[in-house]
Amino acid sequence: MRIRTAGVVAAVSMVALVVAGCGDSSTKSGGTGTPSKAAGGTLVIWADDQRTAALKPFADKFGKDNGVTVQVQAISKDLQTNFVTASQSGKGPDIVVGAHDWIGNMVQNGAIDPVQLTDAQKSGFADIALKAVTFNGQVYGVPYAIENLALIRNTDLAPNAPSTMDDLVAAGTALKTAGKVTNIMSLQVSQTGDAYHIYPLFTSGGGYLFGTKANGDYDPADLGVDKPASVAAFQKIAAFGEKGSGALTRSVTGDNAIPTFTGGKAAFLISGPWAIPDIKKAGLHYDITPVPGFAGGKAAQPFVGVQAFYVASKGKNKALAQEFVTNYLTKPDLQVALYQANPRPPALTTALNQVKASDPDLQKFMDAGKGGAVLPAIPQMAAIWDPFGKAEAAIIGGADVPSTLAAAAKTITDQINK
Amino acid sequence: MSERAGAAAPGLSRPADEVGVSGRRGKASSSAPRERANHGLVRSFRRVGWRHLVGVLAVVFSLVPIVFVVSAAVNPVGSLSSTQLYPTGAGLGNFTDLLRTTAFGHWYLNSVLIAGLSAFSGVFVSMLAAFAFSRLRFTGRRVGLIALLLIQMFPQFLAVVAIYLMFGRIGDFYPALGLNTQLGLLLLYLGPALGVNTWLMKGFLDTVPRELDESAVIDGATHAQIFFRIILPLVTPMLAVTGLLGFIFTINEFLLANTFLTTPETKTLAVGLYGLIAGQRNANFGMFCAGSLLTAVPTVVLFQFLQRYIVSGLTSGAVKG
Amino acid sequence: MAVERNGAEVTPPRPAADRTPPPPGARLAGQAGKTLLLGLVAALAVWGAFPLVSAHAWPALGALAVVTALIFSVYLSKRRIPLKYLLPGTLLLIAFQVIPVVYTASTALTNFGDGHRGSKQDAVVAIQGASVRQVPGSTEYGLTVATRGGTLVFLLADPSGGTFVGDAKGLRSLDPSSVTVSGGRITSASGYSVLNLGEANARGAEVTALSVPTPDGAIRANGLTRAFDGKASQAYDAGCDCVRDTSTGHVWRADNANGSFVDSDGQKLPQGWRVNVGLRNFGRVLTDSRISGPFLRTLVWNMAFAVLTVLAQFALGLLCALAMHSPRVRGRSVYRALMVLPYAMPSFAMLLVWTDMFNQDFGLINKLFSLNVDWLGQPWTARAAVILVQLWLGYPYMFLVSTGALQAIPKDLQEAAEVDGASAWGRFRQVTLPLLLVALSPLLISSFAYNFNNFNAIRLTTEGGPFPPTDSSVGATDLLITYTYRVAFGGQGAQFGFAAALSLYIFAIVAIISAISFRRTRRQEEVYS
Repeated sequence: MRIRTAGVVAAVSMVALVVAGCGDSSTKSGGTGTPSKAAGGTLVIWADDQRTAALKPFADKFGKDNGVTVQVQAISKDLQTNFVTASQSGKGPDIVVGAHDWIGNMVQNGAIDPVQLTDAQKSGFADIALKAVTFNGQVYGVPYAIENLALIRNTDLAPNAPSTMDDLVAAGTALKTAGKVTNIMSLQVSQTGDAYHIYPLFTSGGGYLFGTKANGDYDPADLGVDKPASVAAFQKIAAFGEKGSGALTRSVTGDNAIPTFTGGKAAFLISGPWAIPDIKKAGLHYDITPVPGFAGGKAAQPFVGVQAFYVASKGKNKALAQEFVTNYLTKPDLQVALYQANPRPPALTTALNQVKASDPDLQKFMDAGKGGAVLPAIPQMAAIWDPFGKAEAAIIGGADVPSTLAAAAKTITDQINK
Repeated sequence: MSERAGAAAPGLSRPADEVGVSGRRGKASSSAPRERANHGLVRSFRRVGWRHLVGVLAVVFSLVPIVFVVSAAVNPVGSLSSTQLYPTGAGLGNFTDLLRTTAFGHWYLNSVLIAGLSAFSGVFVSMLAAFAFSRLRFTGRRVGLIALLLIQMFPQFLAVVAIYLMFGRIGDFYPALGLNTQLGLLLLYLGPALGVNTWLMKGFLDTVPRELDESAVIDGATHAQIFFRIILPLVTPMLAVTGLLGFIFTINEFLLANTFLTTPETKTLAVGLYGLIAGQRNANFGMFCAGSLLTAVPTVVLFQFLQRYIVSGLTSGAVKG
Repeated sequence: MAVERNGAEVTPPRPAADRTPPPPGARLAGQAGKTLLLGLVAALAVWGAFPLVSAHAWPALGALAVVTALIFSVYLSKRRIPLKYLLPGTLLLIAFQVIPVVYTASTALTNFGDGHRGSKQDAVVAIQGASVRQVPGSTEYGLTVATRGGTLVFLLADPSGGTFVGDAKGLRSLDPSSVTVSGGRITSASGYSVLNLGEANARGAEVTALSVPTPDGAIRANGLTRAFDGKASQAYDAGCDCVRDTSTGHVWRADNANGSFVDSDGQKLPQGWRVNVGLRNFGRVLTDSRISGPFLRTLVWNMAFAVLTVLAQFALGLLCALAMHSPRVRGRSVYRALMVLPYAMPSFAMLLVWTDMFNQDFGLINKLFSLNVDWLGQPWTARAAVILVQLWLGYPYMFLVSTGALQAIPKDLQEAAEVDGASAWGRFRQVTLPLLLVALSPLLISSFAYNFNNFNAIRLTTEGGPFPPTDSSVGATDLLITYTYRVAFGGQGAQFGFAAALSLYIFAIVAIISAISFRRTRRQEEVYS
């Protein structure tokens, strides 16, 4: 009878699953003492999918050289949240790889420990990279890559680099009228906005997110989102929006911004080093220049972000984790290898010098980031992204600027002061 | 049976028609050819044509997004923003890349095993409970039913922290069941199994007439025998449908699996495929579509296998007026 | 006992002479099966007890014993029949659904969230750990972890060539002739056995904990190959229940009501702890107009979404089932197989694909129909879009079950209606439809319950948007569950306690609605059961 056969099948698969489960659990984090595992224990690193692939060979090498096993695990979504939750319950990894603006939140949850770098080591890193991983006067992570936005243009369609945003829009509109492109430019917005990508234009128009204290740290009490300077900045942005020249549209999202450029539908793309592999694959002739500002406005300041390795404070192999992060990652080899897997300017100066010669794009990205602002790592920054982004999307869609920004500022302030 | 079968309602569709089964004895549509000849295309449309129209429209509606996925899967440069339905080239490159560069094989096995087992055990466990709710009378029966449905309303993702704590402890004692194990995830999925499935099956069971039970009791059967020998064979279609539902739900479940499974070999299809496009949406979209198509295969196979149960009569009891 | 499966006929109870008693072996087989299963339970319980005993986990062991005793008592007793059927499911339900839910609900009374996850002790440890700094101008040592007679020691080499050994009692100089230094570190020393990295890591906790006291601070390990002279600049003083900065003297007092350390200016230290805040979260939902305002609107849309989705799926599925319900339709199985495909495709993938299809400039829909509709940017088109997607995903299932239910409807009913002169529509409405609804109402209700909390349907498509310019926290397509998720995980870090309170409110509302509707259907159920 069908039920019986199904029952037999289920019983057999149950056994299979148990066997598989036992097998897998013994290849998980150590402690079961199987002979194939090194007696020194297992170091667990969490990263997202892209970086996991790059890390694996080095993790294995470190493990072999030192008699330990290193496991790199990829978390597909919500890496930061899962890390903090797992850490709290004692099931977290020993090392986590992520962006530097996670630091504030991770520190307030007691999830990461500061790393002690010698002065010699500190001077080996680019200043801005070191500044990014410093929080409350302590260095919390070891940076390995620097990212910032730049203007990437298709030199076949637009041979000259525009010096202002207005020039760019004019050139793009001309191309669109001539039928050569369908989009004036490609800057991702989406329905929920993208604070990171609009920031250069925002600063060029005079806006600011947080004021700074005397020592240069961001001052969470001084919110600039609804101040007149920011309102004026967004008025300029609105002029480029859907009700204006149409250069900024919400239909360009994180998913299609780069394909729009690589597919030849736009001649200008504002993006970071992560876009280059696709552009190279599409075989386009391109050039990289700093993001231009508005005519008569300030210089456009892109956010500078840094990717770093952090030591989990509740990891089981803290000493080894610190060893890996402070003594192994600070050597050029790993930084160069990570660069090769994911081309971004390395944070270690010696590594950067090693790869600079063969990759002219790196220097151009670094130049584009020269005047950039370090992405604030204070916990209050987390309250900014969502309301600010949505306000930006609304404004680009044609909403009234002052009231939208006032509402966003109120949401942010309420969140910060809760 | 009336003799008016041929004369009445000419040309009107007869929804109760079936392929020569009992029910329409005697007067077959002997008058049909005369009707058709007399009233031509319009009648034909009203009888059959509209069915084909509905069918075709529904099929087109169903297939358009799937054609897009198929063309992205075989397109050598799988890019999301392409707005065309047809691929620029055709090749199995994405499929081979998927199998070669990712742990797709592991994900597949994990998903099918976990979904299959959770569907099977879930169905069995809720069948037991549904039998109790339907056939037996005990205090708190109605309250229990409502409570079952209500507890499903609590958002599962909020329980993430609790689940971490619980399975962390369990994993300390029984490594095979802890975090990052397939068995542990299976257990976690079994928790809600009782909820909606029981409710569904109780409803179906209610349509099976009590007389069967009663006559069996008179024969001297115990409740267990009634359950295993009478009810269970009768409700196989319902079990099939519920099992299929559970299978599909589990294969698509993402939130809990993402939190629970971290090593590439333990991941399920949902988590693994999502990870492919999480960072590199454009580059990996072709592989993602290829993976999605392959994910659909077990469901389609299961559906084909169970089709006769689903279609042949869900309410195998009597829906008598 | 044969039951015809192809139609509506059911064999009525046969006359007494016809009935055959169950085969004699059956009872024995049943007993054997029961014994086997109970034996399995006992074996599992014993196997499960060992790790608990060795870990001295008495409460867990107690729970295991209680559950095992319960299982045995229920299955061995002659009575308690309902429990026998309910027990497995109930145990699973309690363990993996009720307990997490109760635990989560209990967090609604706390300020559990980012910055307030652990206990006060955790916060203090984190604060002190985060404040360890290298004493300015102090020496950086090369470290080698070694043991002497089983005790862990640090073998330290400073840049000028001095060699030392340090343990919990202090730092002592080590004779340079008894050691070999290479690469800035001591690689061997007489009287000590040097551990390699792996071995040192095996005793990692001791390595991290060991601090060698020195006049200005303490030497700690920095990884496994370096050591530094560090000092914690912030220390907890239990006497005043505050954290004091050892160099500047700045004081942060503990605010035990809110779970953080605050100084006189109101500045808080980032590390806080979880405290019980009573009903504050519940109150906030009611009093904070930014939350209570959109709540009703979201609830209305949530109900509408669930109802419309189910209705639309049912209508289309039923229509297709009716259309295919005739033998005159050739290629029926082909139609069926193709129509069902949306249901077989993985939903998370298709949701992403549909979202891209709705893109205003690049999406397939605008391209195919030459439109320029901003689907996901306007509230009503976005709502229509999500319902359309759900229709696509779910109508095949309704199609299947309607097909089955249709075939179970006896033909004589149809024909009787025809005799009475009913039109096709009339027949459908008064004969077919009511019977279908009776058969399918459990399905419709459970589909409603599923869609009420259909998180992925909104999150992977519109993410709750579009958002009005004046309020970024609630969008036009937000369900209560997506709103709660945003509250829990968005904004300034996670706020689990508040989100739990919100969920309890939602839960209460749904419970009330269900209770009312169940009261209504009770009458209907009793007629048909």
